[in-house]
Amino acid sequence: MAKIELTRIPFIKNALKSRYPQLAVFIVMLIGYIFAILAGLIGTPVGSHNFSIVFVWIAWWAILILVAVPFFGRGWCAVCPIPLPGEWLQRGAVLSPPDKRPKWLNLRVPKMFRNIWLQNISFLLLALFSSVLLTTPNITGVVLATMLFAAIRLSTVFERRAFCRYLCPVGGFIGLYSQTAPIELRIKDKQVCVTCEGKPCYNGSQAGYGCPWDVFPGGLTKNTYCGLCMECIRTCPHDNIAVNLRPFSADLAKPSTRMDEAFKAFIMLGSAMIYAGILLGPWGILKDAAYNVGTDAWFTYVAAFLAIIFVALPGLFTVGILHTKNTLPLKQRFASLSTALIPLGLMFWVAFSLSFVLTNASYILTALSDPLGLGWNLFGTANATWQPMLTSMLAPAQTLALVGGLIWSARTAQKAAGEVKVSPIPVIVYCFIATCLMLWLLL
Amino acid sequence: MNRSELISRFLIVTGILLSVGAPLFLWARTPLIHARMAEDGGWNPDIIQAEVGKPLHLKITSDDVVHGFAVGQMEMQSVDVLPGKVTDITLNFDKPGIYTFFCTRWCGLNHWRMRGTIEVSGSSSDPEPASSLLYVSLDLDLDAPHDAPVVPNGKPSATNGQLLETNLPIDLSAEYYRSHSPYQVFNELSATTLTESQRWDVVAYLWQTNTTSTSLVNGNQLYAQNCAACHGENGAGDGVFADDLAAAGESSMQTMEGAMDMVMQSPVNFTDPRRMLGASPALLQGKILRGGMGTGMPMWGSIFTEEQIWDLVAYIYSFQFEY
Amino acid sequence: MRFRISLLLFVMAGLVVAFAPLPVPAIAPQERTFQIDAHQFAYSPSELKVNEGDTVIIQLVSSDVVHGIYVDGYDISVEADPGQSAILTFVADKPGSFRFRCNVTCGAMHPFMIGKLTVGPNNWLYRSIGLAALAVLGVTVSRKQKV
Repeated sequence: MAKIELTRIPFIKNALKSRYPQLAVFIVMLIGYIFAILAGLIGTPVGSHNFSIVFVWIAWWAILILVAVPFFGRGWCAVCPIPLPGEWLQRGAVLSPPDKRPKWLNLRVPKMFRNIWLQNISFLLLALFSSVLLTTPNITGVVLATMLFAAIRLSTVFERRAFCRYLCPVGGFIGLYSQTAPIELRIKDKQVCVTCEGKPCYNGSQAGYGCPWDVFPGGLTKNTYCGLCMECIRTCPHDNIAVNLRPFSADLAKPSTRMDEAFKAFIMLGSAMIYAGILLGPWGILKDAAYNVGTDAWFTYVAAFLAIIFVALPGLFTVGILHTKNTLPLKQRFASLSTALIPLGLMFWVAFSLSFVLTNASYILTALSDPLGLGWNLFGTANATWQPMLTSMLAPAQTLALVGGLIWSARTAQKAAGEVKVSPIPVIVYCFIATCLMLWLLL
Repeated sequence: MNRSELISRFLIVTGILLSVGAPLFLWARTPLIHARMAEDGGWNPDIIQAEVGKPLHLKITSDDVVHGFAVGQMEMQSVDVLPGKVTDITLNFDKPGIYTFFCTRWCGLNHWRMRGTIEVSGSSSDPEPASSLLYVSLDLDLDAPHDAPVVPNGKPSATNGQLLETNLPIDLSAEYYRSHSPYQVFNELSATTLTESQRWDVVAYLWQTNTTSTSLVNGNQLYAQNCAACHGENGAGDGVFADDLAAAGESSMQTMEGAMDMVMQSPVNFTDPRRMLGASPALLQGKILRGGMGTGMPMWGSIFTEEQIWDLVAYIYSFQFEY
Repeated sequence: MRFRISLLLFVMAGLVVAFAPLPVPAIAPQERTFQIDAHQFAYSPSELKVNEGDTVIIQLVSSDVVHGIYVDGYDISVEADPGQSAILTFVADKPGSFRFRCNVTCGAMHPFMIGKLTVGPNNWLYRSIGLAALAVLGVTVSRKQKV
């Protein structure tokens, strides 16, 4: 299937090239984000009636996992407010070109951190406390504020968006799954970049800032680390940057060989299954263990969580591919073949989130009218009653997502196996077993 | 610095200040009464000032689970206090004094500890004479054992009793009923020619004549809302908190040295005839009013009106008699 | 061409697996009573199994704070205070597996206070697993044909 260049449409091109539409969205998002922090700290401690919980963990999460990631890849990162204050501080400007001399330390991130392991860890940290985080407004408020301040702090120490690129707990999996999205930002003609002087897309110019994501657009082959911030569209003097509509999962044809990304795939696959069991399952003892942070039961939960993600899932995978006849080192086969888990993991999250979001979406109406639980009724919907939506459609939709994900993953496995010249069967069987387990947990 | 940079900086700063300032301002101007489970602090604030003749407006919210709000000894419908929602309520006081407000929906083992006071100042037009309570004027010892030495074989029947009563010299007045235990009445009937079970039937009839169906309905409702969680929906002392109370009692025994008779106990079984037939309505009134003093039985005196307590007493006896 | 035909075959097989009517085992409907204890944040028992057509009577006993029960798919609910147990009666006329959940905010983990009602065999799960197996088979076969 061919790619369609969206930036050929003048309206889209102008909207992306101009700073103002994005800035307007940024300001609204930043205000919403700061309000969410405030709501978490001063609003009602009842999560289901507090703006911070309802808008972050129900509304934002639904949009992120059901729409933004599958269809727009890093589309969320394009409008995320977290890096903004730090970035504005770093540049000393909101719109104007930065000074020639950097205002702050502007260090390069040390080599050992230039991977997504820190993101894997920050995601796991939140994941292990997720039952508390998801339900307690002031914890959510504190975490949101911490992320904002961490982003500001990192901006003053390191160059570009160090937080987004190397620390953001959400950014890690958005990047991984954005490879499946039908949207990409790429250069049009390689030759133009080779001969381009000064590379303003990476180094910045009067027209805009050098890539905040520390990526040279000319070398982009996959979506993972491109934050869709659109700066390069503004800086490229040769009009060589395009945003394309492309077939789903185009990036997965060239499997990654990085262990941090491979483990990210296992972390996401495993946490989706664990959440499905703990949060949506009928086992109260598991919920207690996950919620009562600091107790023996919780430590057991943490140990089990980590064991499933780092030992059981990758271990079984390794055993499965051990006997594939190949001269390539096992590590490389492991990393390449785990690419197959990316679409499956994404669809696991879609299936899990469908249940959670459809059940609790009606809280959005209440929280919209009374965001702090102070008895307001801004839009007349404060007394909307809790009502699960589309409960009869849920199970078929989940099956569709999971079986669809399985087909998608099996195809990806075939391609990845073709790249490293082994049989895809063990990986497909692995995906099939995982899917059956997830079906059993959800249905 | 060019204009667009200035405008965007201005917009950003204003937006942030507004998004923080406006809610903060409105929040600070909305004084809420917070309800939490007793373990987590109960009512906050738990002392409210009011004045006679001035309506008291309250905004109440719950920070955890479903609670309720009512003021003791007042003619008012209790209101629900729901998590994350705000309940508006207006109270009017015509007499000064200290009122108790309390939680009306069970919210855990310590639900009944969720109480606060409203201090109403001002002068009253007609000071009401303090009426002496029956158990006080009878000088009953609420903590003395009061078991009936003899109990009937089955539930005494008021219907049978009514047929037998007609030619017996028996006092059907409320005063007599309230100050005597069923066993005492049974005992006073020993001079008659009736058999034991017939005498119990007459006792049942006496109790029935002093019980209206309205008071049974009211009593039943009060019992379900306030008592059943411990004493059980069928009065057998097996409510959902009974085990927790027993467990709490065991642990408190270790801490309350020398006060072994005052520790948490299992809730009383109202279907036990020995215990119930040996207790007069006045004694039960006293126990409900005063509470169990450390046994886990709450003090209801500041909450129920006298009439409500008599209704409750009447209902509790219905576990013993066939009306 | 052969690829298209086999794709069509697999799609049709998928539709059969998903929607083919199964023989309904003739089991005389009964009345089934469950006493469910609701406490923060679980039901016990939390998994109920009944046959299609059974009359289900759930006696809900809350043992700490006010809880409720809402049955997905059936869209019915009841609430119970501690000391005031409540009864929910319905005819299990929809087969399948349904979550039931607390519908009275009862503390932090309230949104995850969940149980499971299975009416008859959980056919949709078996159909879904069948679809998954068929999908794997389809992908593998189509690959072989292309090569």
